[in-house]
Amino acid sequence: MDIVKIIGVGLIALIIIIILKQYRPEFTMYVSILAGVIILIMLVNPISGIINLINSIASRANINIQFIKILIKITGIAILTEFAVSICNDSGETAIASKIDVGGKIIIIGLSIPIIQTLMETILKVLP
Amino acid sequence: MNIDLLFKIAAIGILVAVLHQVLVRAGREDQAMMTTLAGLIIVLTLVIKEVSGLFSTVRTMFNL
Repeated sequence: MDIVKIIGVGLIALIIIIILKQYRPEFTMYVSILAGVIILIMLVNPISGIINLINSIASRANINIQFIKILIKITGIAILTEFAVSICNDSGETAIASKIDVGGKIIIIGLSIPIIQTLMETILKVLP
Repeated sequence: MNIDLLFKIAAIGILVAVLHQVLVRAGREDQAMMTTLAGLIIVLTLVIKEVSGLFSTVRTMFNL
């Protein structure tokens, strides 16, 4: 049922953008940003449900909680980066979009350093 | 977080466009530009409030 609401918001925003495009082109970017915000906020409940599910499974299967926390953090960064990149691409600023993209990737790599370290340690332990 | 924000922005946009035309016809170009800027700033504050709300919810949810 949620998908119908998301599609509805998207189509309404599209119609408003088409109307506004001839009169005030500057407002179209505002409407698209706001439509993105509304849709993402609508998705908050399912996402938090998924996160709680992942946490409970990880704690029951006694996987190291630290890694799961980092993975969830990386997903959040990816969502926000994609939000900004698509808005910049939409308004034609591909240079800014690629800069935000590079920044997001670097931050994600920075966050995943502990995981890479433990991976290397386990590999070195296995090797003779 | 509902749809009427979109309609509010559409209404402000069309109102600013009409005001701009009326003022230009009346020969006051500077005031026309002022009203357009005022409309833009009002909508900007509205959008920034919503975007900051989104960022704080995402931050608390993913404990970034």
